[in-house]
Amino acid sequence: MTRKLDPNNPYYIDFPKRISEIQAAMAKEKIDVYLGSRLRTLSWTLDAFCPWRSFVVIPAEGMPTAFTFVIDAARVADDTWVDEEHVRGFAPMGGQDQIEQIADFIRENIRGGKGRVGIESGMSNYLPEGWLTHYEFEQYRDALAGSELVNAHTIVDRLALIKDAGTINRFREASRIVDEGHKAVRAAIDNGGWKGMTETEIAGIAALAMRRAGSEWEWSFTGGNEIACGYRTGLAGGACTPATRKKLAPGEPLMVDIHAMFMLGLGDHSHNYFTGSATDRQLWHAENFLKIVRATLKAYRAGITPSTLADEMMALAEEGGFSDFMVPGFEHGIGMMGDEWRIGLNDGPFPYWTNPDHVYRENEVLICAMQYACPEENVGFRYENPIVIGTAGCDEMSKYPLGIEVIS
Amino acid sequence: MSGTIRYLSPEWRNEVERLLKAELSPEKMNNISSSMSNIYRNCPDGTERFFHVKFENGAVSAVLVGNGAPPAAEFIITGDYEVFARISRAELGAQKALMTGKLKLKGNMVKALKLASVVDRLNKVIAKIQAEY
Repeated sequence: MTRKLDPNNPYYIDFPKRISEIQAAMAKEKIDVYLGSRLRTLSWTLDAFCPWRSFVVIPAEGMPTAFTFVIDAARVADDTWVDEEHVRGFAPMGGQDQIEQIADFIRENIRGGKGRVGIESGMSNYLPEGWLTHYEFEQYRDALAGSELVNAHTIVDRLALIKDAGTINRFREASRIVDEGHKAVRAAIDNGGWKGMTETEIAGIAALAMRRAGSEWEWSFTGGNEIACGYRTGLAGGACTPATRKKLAPGEPLMVDIHAMFMLGLGDHSHNYFTGSATDRQLWHAENFLKIVRATLKAYRAGITPSTLADEMMALAEEGGFSDFMVPGFEHGIGMMGDEWRIGLNDGPFPYWTNPDHVYRENEVLICAMQYACPEENVGFRYENPIVIGTAGCDEMSKYPLGIEVIS
Repeated sequence: MSGTIRYLSPEWRNEVERLLKAELSPEKMNNISSSMSNIYRNCPDGTERFFHVKFENGAVSAVLVGNGAPPAAEFIITGDYEVFARISRAELGAQKALMTGKLKLKGNMVKALKLASVVDRLNKVIAKIQAEY
């Protein structure tokens, strides 16, 4: 379904402008052609979900051209804002494999057939990042003999950092959809409905409700909707819980971390429960967690950094006697599909990890993310919510009420 | 036809045009508008030759053979003379020649897939010509 949107549409994004900005940055860095391979770059430039190995070639002037596995090329062409002529399929055929076809295309788009080709090389703890592989690099280097391949991903990273209105509105809608998923889960587990249910069943209930509300998929590579109950909520340092066939049990915590996608904008919100009953000790843990979530949401604003926020929040946890249970991180990055995990640019002390001294700016979007875990007591909680950074605070995109409920 | 026509000769070209017009109606060609140039490398006489065919709304509008660079076309298929000859003698399928890298296709693969069946029809008609190689 095409995303050639009217500029008055709330989800409109000016993609030609994005391409022009990339080309301006390429000119400054004397790059003749940009060869994008990361999922985040494909989403950000094409406005289409590219689940198969794909590339976008951006010349010095004019339209970008997408290259994807031929079985999905017509669908990508149908979805993206670029015209059919600029979406190519590759296949294992003479002249049509991704190396030869793209190398030929790049040569045709450089004056004299040789020049500087920007590529995307690096590392990530996000598996489907899409960096150019070593093999691909060698093949392109050989196929483009006489050209220089230079790492250029910062061009896209820098431009994608501050979100425009259309992107933010897509995230808001994805969060609204996630809230519908939470409502459906809440209704399903209430009044003893949780008895006999498994984590996977809850994941499915949320998925159906979110799909009905317009979600394209449960986008997270962590297993779609992450549901955990009992001891799995309190795994030490854990913040990844693909749903299992574990049955919910009375007196145990339940963590519902669900994901929706709307036009490549991502919803990601976690809500926590106790099923049947909760002990005073469990409720003490819950109150600790709610306290630090509220404080964190209040603290987020332009000008602070991940490290200053972490220092402040860990001091609060220490003061409250629950710092042993806090994972000392309060965020993860987010952008259009494929852009997950790292905050900001690759400019920190550990390459390709979040720079703890990154200074947040207005209209950055990130996931306010916190994990509380007490493995000894088999209890833990997770909070995630996409937020938009403002000058005086932050705007929480999921509006589902904060709380840790005891479900009868 | 008797086997007296030389492959890629002007006579062969005339016979290709005649057969295509006689056997492939615009409807059979799905009313396509497209063009294809085959580039024959390593011809027996050491030259490089081409075969070019063009359709407009399904009707044959150009059939050309010659030496050197071919006319511009939506699809360009390059390979050794012998590979094309084997395809024309029905000893090798065009798809297999592409899948094994014996032929190289330049052009939009998505469009090529849409046209695969009509190109097969075209190749079958051309294969009817008893040519000398």
